[in-house]
Amino acid sequence: MKERVVIVGGGIMGLATAYHLARLGAENVTVLERRFAGYGATFRTGTGIRESFGDETNIWMMRESIKMWKALEEELGHPTEYRQTGYMFLLHTEEEMESFRRNVSLQNSLSVPSRIISPEEAKEIVPPLNIEDVLGAAYNPEDGKANPFLVLQGYKKASLKMGVKIHEYSPVEGIVERGGKRVVKTPRGEFEADILINAAGGWSKLIDRMVAVPSHVEPYKHQAIKTEALERGQINPMVVSFKHGGAYLTQDIADGGVIGGVALAEGPTFDMNPTLEYAIEVSRHFTWLIPALKYVHIVRQWAGFYATTPDKNPVIGEVAPGYYIISGFSGHGFMMSPMATKSLAELIVEGGTSAPLDFYDPHRFERGEFREAAIQMG
Amino acid sequence: MRIERHPILTFRRGRRVKFFFNGREVEAREGETIAMALYAAGIRDLSKSQKFHRPRGLFCAIGKCSSCLLTVDGIPNVRTCIIPVKEGMRVEASEGNPRLADNVPPPKKFMEPETHRTDLLVIGGGPAGLQAAIHAADMGARVTVLDEAPMLGGQLVKQTHKFFGKRQLHAGVRGIKIAEMLIEEVRRRGIEIFSRTSAVGLFPSGEEKVVDAVEAERYLHRFTARAVLVATGAMERYLPFPGADLPGVYGAGAVQTLMNTYGILPGERVLIVGAGNVGLILAYQLMQAGVKVPAVVEALPRVGGYFVHAAKIRRQGVPILTRHTIVRAAGSGRVEQATVAELDERWSVIEGTEKTYDVDVVALSVGLRPSVELLQQAGCSMRFVRELAGLVPLRDRNMQTTVEGIYVAGDASGIEEATTAMLEGTIAGISAGFYLGHGDEKWQERLERARAELEEFRDGPIGREVKKGIERVLI
Ligand SMILES: Cc1cc2nc3c(=O)[nH]c(=O)nc-3n(C[C@H](O)[C@H](O)[C@H](O)COP(=O)(O)OP(=O)(O)OC[C@H]3O[C@@H](n4cnc5c(N)ncnc54)[C@H](O)[C@@H]3O)c2cc1C
Ligand code: FES
Repeated sequence: MKERVVIVGGGIMGLATAYHLARLGAENVTVLERRFAGYGATFRTGTGIRESFGDETNIWMMRESIKMWKALEEELGHPTEYRQTGYMFLLHTEEEMESFRRNVSLQNSLSVPSRIISPEEAKEIVPPLNIEDVLGAAYNPEDGKANPFLVLQGYKKASLKMGVKIHEYSPVEGIVERGGKRVVKTPRGEFEADILINAAGGWSKLIDRMVAVPSHVEPYKHQAIKTEALERGQINPMVVSFKHGGAYLTQDIADGGVIGGVALAEGPTFDMNPTLEYAIEVSRHFTWLIPALKYVHIVRQWAGFYATTPDKNPVIGEVAPGYYIISGFSGHGFMMSPMATKSLAELIVEGGTSAPLDFYDPHRFERGEFREAAIQMG
Repeated sequence: MRIERHPILTFRRGRRVKFFFNGREVEAREGETIAMALYAAGIRDLSKSQKFHRPRGLFCAIGKCSSCLLTVDGIPNVRTCIIPVKEGMRVEASEGNPRLADNVPPPKKFMEPETHRTDLLVIGGGPAGLQAAIHAADMGARVTVLDEAPMLGGQLVKQTHKFFGKRQLHAGVRGIKIAEMLIEEVRRRGIEIFSRTSAVGLFPSGEEKVVDAVEAERYLHRFTARAVLVATGAMERYLPFPGADLPGVYGAGAVQTLMNTYGILPGERVLIVGAGNVGLILAYQLMQAGVKVPAVVEALPRVGGYFVHAAKIRRQGVPILTRHTIVRAAGSGRVEQATVAELDERWSVIEGTEKTYDVDVVALSVGLRPSVELLQQAGCSMRFVRELAGLVPLRDRNMQTTVEGIYVAGDASGIEEATTAMLEGTIAGISAGFYLGHGDEKWQERLERARAELEEFRDGPIGREVKKGIERVLI
């Protein structure tokens, strides 16, 4: 494919799309990143990867993505620290039990091996867990996590090797039409695009605006924390509790520090300052769920954007002739990046894909179609 | 070993207390920090490194490097160099990273932070912070001072030498005495003091600044202030060489803390690396305490510190080897020997010039870098300035940073010395006083005077470098 493809955004979506495009034979792919690759949500992610969703399409996308996650390290020739350490949704009320029983049976019907476990089993899997108010848990051992820094580096290296051009510190400041082509302006020069892809994450609406199309993606500030290093392997799965602040937490593969967050969002906003209130909410809920954490220091806290759509499902596809978007992952883009980017690349190069991209049609909101909201964390 | 007799210092020791280190009973004196008490008991090897299980001892002794982390009464990663011992305390070196206990009961009630309100919150009770506190209080502001050390005074509390300069700037007075005077002034004004309290976050929210701080690694305090001065000082730089991580390789400041603050003998024979003022003064102080100093090595062709200091130690027979560096420290589990060698013009070791000394301590005085983490976290614009020895905040002539109401003074604004820190503290304190709506012309004059004095003090060759650096961060 000879068309000049310009991708705005050097996050996981931008780089993995570039990678798949190049693999499918696109010869002229350029990624423009306003800061350094990974600066956006990708380096601020909570690292979780799960197929435990509550609807068929997302379960399918994630089941396929997990197949790709498993092979990614070898494919990229770069470590990813991907591990299938599971997700554990703690259930504290009968209603929660009921709704997760439904999720589990749907998941099982799509051959996801999730199951409802007892509080005692939960404690066996996560020994420091407080099960005082736990009725049960939905557990899927196939879910897991990966290291976003390594993964992004892997895509970057592999893309560069195939001839993709990556320009960092090149913010897109304007897009104009000239001779029927889009011209993308940055302080480092202009780039002509036959095909333009908006992979600008939380900043997507600004790119939509430059192309003069309606946007359905808004930036919401979400935060996360990391604690000091701890003995590894004590909290293997991602432990989630909607009742306790929407907390999610797990141990980092590399140093055993706990990484996670709570559901305390602000927005829409472009402010990325971490807040004190958040650190306190994290402390409150984490020390309830894992009481021994009361002795542990938080060593890092940061904020990033969930690129959020009205139904918490992404927008993937063609918005206007030659203009595509892959954004709006609403807090679960890292996990879905393999299949999402591969299917978009297929759509662009081959004109079609086996993935159910209709579900993520960027125009659905204009038609008044809203999907059932995807399960979101944080 | 504790120092019994000292020509200048008298050590008031607290009552005897017992605590446990890895299950073994250790006797300490009340007022000593855990790491200091262990050192006095002959324990230098505090823990083992994560990967290669090499012995780890202290390095900075002022809570800034994480070399002394131990588990104390179940709390992992406590900076034992700044936490005082208590009767019956259980101190353990955790094997590898700390483990989360399985059966800790969940908190009955989440402990909300204790809240405090003040006009000016001063973070760091060294010469800069204390001067600022005194001046702002005199103008009528309500002032609160936080410091993570057990005592106020910052690095002054270990300076037994007499200061230079003009009389009104305490020339001829020993650092420890200046510290006492400043602390006395602070007390007399009823300024609220929180010692053993580390500020861990600085959050500007409009007119108000919120500072979260942890006392004794346990209790959370929240301070709301209209102005904040960050006077957090500096931390010592490290030098990599084979054996640099052996217990016995310490920052020069740590050696001073052991010896001058806690009256504990750092060792028998100490090699000093770096002939700036800190290294030279340390050599002299060590000899005062009866410790031998076989040599001071300096990589530059000249001695960096003041001539008088150098002359003084040369008179005592200590060679200052310029164009020399340390090439390795060796010993089983602790420093037993250190090898130095001469450098050529291109800073490479000249073969055949190696000399080995039997020493049990290597003191590194190879410079400091500003402690600016809080300023950076609060969103102050920063810049790397070589002349100021690292990353420092931009500031105006009033020592206000780019965030309104946040001030900086002392080493945190660029590495200099105690006299300039006091003057910067004065400037910052008076400016903060004005910012808070206090003060009249008389204070304006005081402010001008402090500025002039600072200008004058920086007239020497070192000061000229500093001034060049300051130009690059002045807004
Ligand atoms: C706190 C937090 C926790 C999360 N936890 C999880 C989790 O556990 N699991 C999970 O799967 N997902 C999680 N996510 C979401 C996940 O990180 C994102 O969905 C994913 O990183 C999105 O990738 P992206 O490439 O679309 O966006 P980004 O990574 O944000 O990349 C967009 C890039 O575009 C660049 N850009 C923007 N505007 C311009 C311009 N004008 N010119 C040039 N470049 C521009 C930005 O600098 C940025 O690098 C979390 C997100 C946050 C913030
Ligand atoms: S922090 Fe204790 S020795 Fe540095």
